[in-house]
Amino acid sequence: MTSAFPLLPKSWREMEKGKSNSEDGVLAHLERLEAQARESALKQEEKEQQEQKLAGLKARVQELRARRDELRAKLELQQKGLLEKEGVETDKEQPSARAVLEWKIRSMKDLLQLFYLTGISGKLTKRGVCFCISTAYEGTYLHSYYLDVLTKPEVQIQRHSVPTFIPLEQLARKHLQTDIRRFLAVLSDHLNAYAGRRYQVDQLQERFSDRLEGTLQRNSLCNLLVFHYNVSGHSGSFLFSAKLLYSDPCCSLPTEAIVSCTPNAPAELAEMAAAHSETFRRLALHKAFDSFSKAEETQDQALISPPGSPQ
Amino acid sequence: MDEVVAEYIRRTVLKIPRDEILDVLRQWGFLSDTQLGAINLRQTKESISQEVVQLCEENSADLKQAAILDIIYNNIYPNKRMWSVYQMKKTGEETDLFDFSNFKKKFKGRLQSALKNVTISFREYEDNAIWIRIAWGTPYTKPNQYKTSYVVYHSQTPYVFISVSVLKSNLPLLCQALVVASNYHDIREMELRSHCLNSLKDIVFKRYSQNFQTHYPKQQKNVPTENVDVRIIQEDKSEKERIQRVNQEVFGDGPQPKLEFAQYKLETMFKSDPNMDVLERREPFRCLVKFSSPDLLESLKSLAPAGMADAPLSPLLTCIPQKARNYFKIRERKDVLPGSFVSP
Repeated sequence: MTSAFPLLPKSWREMEKGKSNSEDGVLAHLERLEAQARESALKQEEKEQQEQKLAGLKARVQELRARRDELRAKLELQQKGLLEKEGVETDKEQPSARAVLEWKIRSMKDLLQLFYLTGISGKLTKRGVCFCISTAYEGTYLHSYYLDVLTKPEVQIQRHSVPTFIPLEQLARKHLQTDIRRFLAVLSDHLNAYAGRRYQVDQLQERFSDRLEGTLQRNSLCNLLVFHYNVSGHSGSFLFSAKLLYSDPCCSLPTEAIVSCTPNAPAELAEMAAAHSETFRRLALHKAFDSFSKAEETQDQALISPPGSPQ
Repeated sequence: MDEVVAEYIRRTVLKIPRDEILDVLRQWGFLSDTQLGAINLRQTKESISQEVVQLCEENSADLKQAAILDIIYNNIYPNKRMWSVYQMKKTGEETDLFDFSNFKKKFKGRLQSALKNVTISFREYEDNAIWIRIAWGTPYTKPNQYKTSYVVYHSQTPYVFISVSVLKSNLPLLCQALVVASNYHDIREMELRSHCLNSLKDIVFKRYSQNFQTHYPKQQKNVPTENVDVRIIQEDKSEKERIQRVNQEVFGDGPQPKLEFAQYKLETMFKSDPNMDVLERREPFRCLVKFSSPDLLESLKSLAPAGMADAPLSPLLTCIPQKARNYFKIRERKDVLPGSFVSP
């Protein structure tokens, strides 16, 4: 090894001698040094960036504090009724053009966020508009769907992220050319109802899995559900079968709820089945099951301490 | 237990990688936990499969169970098969209340009325995917369990994924049964094929990341800079950024669906200097261009950043997920401007 590199400094040659049989060599050592240097450069850069950021934030804090003090002072003056007397003060209070612009930008951003939260929002693109339909159910925000609509040759949907089981083409054929607002409203109804139905089924499977027996049968639109669940009555627990049909695509409550129990069940359970059917048509799935649990609790309590009996 | 069934189960188990045999059998749910625990995984796969068959014998497995095991195997390893996408059309506009039991009944009824000797099995999955396995026979012979077709259908969608089987003659029968069972009235094959079933689903269900412009900013992703030495200055930074931007507009942020090839059949005229007439007769220059790759769309996405192509890429390449096709026929455009258009 040493004969191959006669012109290297002595220290390097000695290093080579020592490591002539191992994997490490000069180049590997150089690589390591280079990597170390790179790392430390990166760390240095990071540190500098963080310091800059910190300084920036500190400056912003100062700025905001100054602004707060300013506003406080202004408030005090107003309360003391001195503002009208001090002509010089009013000049100082006149907002700069920059501040006005900032305020405009802030309020515009808030307005846009407001629109986004209402469920249907849009942004102008080069060739049209990109609409965003957000879905929500009972205060929980769910998925958002997008539509890229072109306006130039004629109003048409260039691309979208709406699921295939939502009848988008059908709705577009009916409403897109004539009344785009109606189109968006109806589409939003479809999507929100679907999101609501799916949310209910997911909640049911998550929170009441101990009550469900066997698998829950559903479909892509979640508009037909078949499941079996346990009901505890006076004489033990019984199995109920439920078939829920949601014929209205814009509704997240079933139009039909068929609840049945086993043929040899006591008569009172038939009444309960009818009551459950009514509950399913009225309440969301998970809320319906909540009410069943509560009803059973009160029933149990009634058994333990019937009304009128001495304690 | 039937010998055919035993052999079929044995061969199916042999296909599964050793480490995953227990998981697949667990999903099958036919053997108990104690039985699964008793299987010695340290022997050869031949012996393991024999042991599994032995246990199935104890539980008296029948053809139905074996078919389910086969569906499970194909569901876990779908990329071993080639899948085609078919699109169905319907005229009615009423909301479809899809009932799985109804679907099964109609499908079986329709198919078996045309061909009695078939084995039909169904399995429903959490993501609303319905898997159908059909083993084909002939009017005179029993179904051959090794000549199978697989159908994957998501309820209330117009798309069906069919794994092309050897017996193409049975395809019309299969399509008809599907149309009847799902309440559609017509079906046609799309020009979209791949081994990766999930990517085909991503394309037609629009589950891949499309870059939509919104006011509401998504979380800014910080590009990791570990590999970049901060002391190196990039000379063509603006061009690189332009390419990145164009790429992101076209391909979006997320991973691309996985396709293995794109095929362009050219039926265009060869355009040359009239003085040097290459072809004596003016007839279309027949040519087939095929792009192959383990992951075609990702490689197209990385062409411009790697400096191998100009950004933006040709729309013929970038329209693949949007148009949901990877087989194209390019013909001459019949108007004044020279050029070509893509046939629908």
